Amino acid sequence: MIQMFHVSKTYPNKITALTDINLEIPSGDFVFLSGPSGSGKSTLLKILFGLEKPTSGEVIIHGIRITHPRFKKIYQLRRRIGFISQDFRLLRDRTVWENVALALEVVGCPPQEIKKKVGEILSRVGLQERGRDPILSLSAGEQQRVIIARALVNQPLLILADEPTGVLDTRMKEEVMDLLLDFHQNGTTILLATQDRDLIQKFPYQVIPLQEGRRMDEKIEEGVKEEG
Amino acid sequence: MINLFRYTLFRAIRNMKGNLFPNLTAIGIIGISLLLVSIFSLIALNFSYFLKRWEEKIGLIAYLKRETPVNEVEAILNRIRELPGVESVKYMSPFDAMAFLEDRLGEQRSVLDGIQPKVLPPSVEIDLKRDYRTSPQMKELISKIKKIPQIEEVQYGQEWVETFSGLNHFMHLTQWIFGGLLFAAMIFIISNTLQLAISSRKEEIEVMKMMGASPAFIRIPFYIEGLIQGLLGAGVAVLLLYLLYEILLRRLTPLLKGWMSDVPILFFSGETIVTILAGGMVLGLFGSFIASIRFLR
Repeated sequence: MIQMFHVSKTYPNKITALTDINLEIPSGDFVFLSGPSGSGKSTLLKILFGLEKPTSGEVIIHGIRITHPRFKKIYQLRRRIGFISQDFRLLRDRTVWENVALALEVVGCPPQEIKKKVGEILSRVGLQERGRDPILSLSAGEQQRVIIARALVNQPLLILADEPTGVLDTRMKEEVMDLLLDFHQNGTTILLATQDRDLIQKFPYQVIPLQEGRRMDEKIEEGVKEEG
Repeated sequence: MINLFRYTLFRAIRNMKGNLFPNLTAIGIIGISLLLVSIFSLIALNFSYFLKRWEEKIGLIAYLKRETPVNEVEAILNRIRELPGVESVKYMSPFDAMAFLEDRLGEQRSVLDGIQPKVLPPSVEIDLKRDYRTSPQMKELISKIKKIPQIEEVQYGQEWVETFSGLNHFMHLTQWIFGGLLFAAMIFIISNTLQLAISSRKEEIEVMKMMGASPAFIRIPFYIEGLIQGLLGAGVAVLLLYLLYEILLRRLTPLLKGWMSDVPILFFSGETIVTILAGGMVLGLFGSFIASIRFLR
């Protein structure tokens, strides 16, 4: 379960990215975060991943209050989260294989298991032949697939995906969505931020619309209530 | 656990290979710093050893008046022998003194041609008990010897003893001060060099943090790097010191021949070398620890 209570975020340059966000996503759900650029989608995902601290409000993930001042073990939580974002860069001096394997190495996975899991996930993102290639020899779309593979290789309980299909062609977009749906079928909670309306309309999942850092659906609900 | 250790060691070595220049710089700095301290310590060690050997030989020479009859010599020797602190006495006649001089001069003994042994005064060589080799006790003994009427003069290297003792004390003091200052400088330089290595891998560290790497997982390879750098640096220092020692030994030995030929020039013992290597490792570890506190929060 992901819970946010009255979360606001204002950056030091006074730009307000989020204002009074409340949400509750039950475990195993697939939820879209929609909204134009600058609507606060990325900031919301970064807060859930512990990369940004909210200016105010509470965030609870799987029962852990990550906004608690004495909460120091964010790294333990991150091991259970697959974070897909352009901000989460690949290591340019490493190969595709090494970049994906690093996610397993840091959690102390045995070498044999690393070999098996990395091989499997690279096959699933269509990069099985490119394991030994350096990252810089890959196209933007291929690099995005490596980022996705790296986020998913550890069988996360929660996937936070920020425009995961943004730079992919139609075929690859479908394959990545199939991959995410596969994880979802196996019980993984997925929160996917995108501006792609066509993509959202294809799936019957909950959509949380954001605009200028606020939830638009709450406003509508409140408006309906007021009218009623 | 073994896998984790092997993996961490592998990462540390891979990191060192990937950042060869900062690592070589750190090894070089540790090596030079430890070399300086080691040179100083080795000089101090040899100086102390020389002084110890020299102290063992400290004795007095009591010169007899030239007109002293030979039949009084035995009585004089007995009188000296009975004084407190005297280990043994040996009479040296003018002929013995001449023979001794000829022996020491070796091939240059010809300078003594035409000199009669009679010009050399008879003397008594006095060996002292170990506890009586300090300056105040020697002075007391000398005053007692001088009271013997046939004694002309008593000689001992008083100034030398005092100068050497003072110098030895000074060297030990300097060794600690110098060592302490260099230690602080080394920690500063090593931690800064390791900070360079850490900052050059900032991106990798960020990525690992985002993947859920624990602080220990990130820090331990840096500590291992510090240990390896320290060990290699200390190894370089010992090796260079040994080379210097060998070169100097070859140059110095002929110069010292005849003067202190029986006092060997020492090198560090195996235990001291292990201590230097361990010291290098501690330095490296401490430097990397400080660097990690500052950069891996």
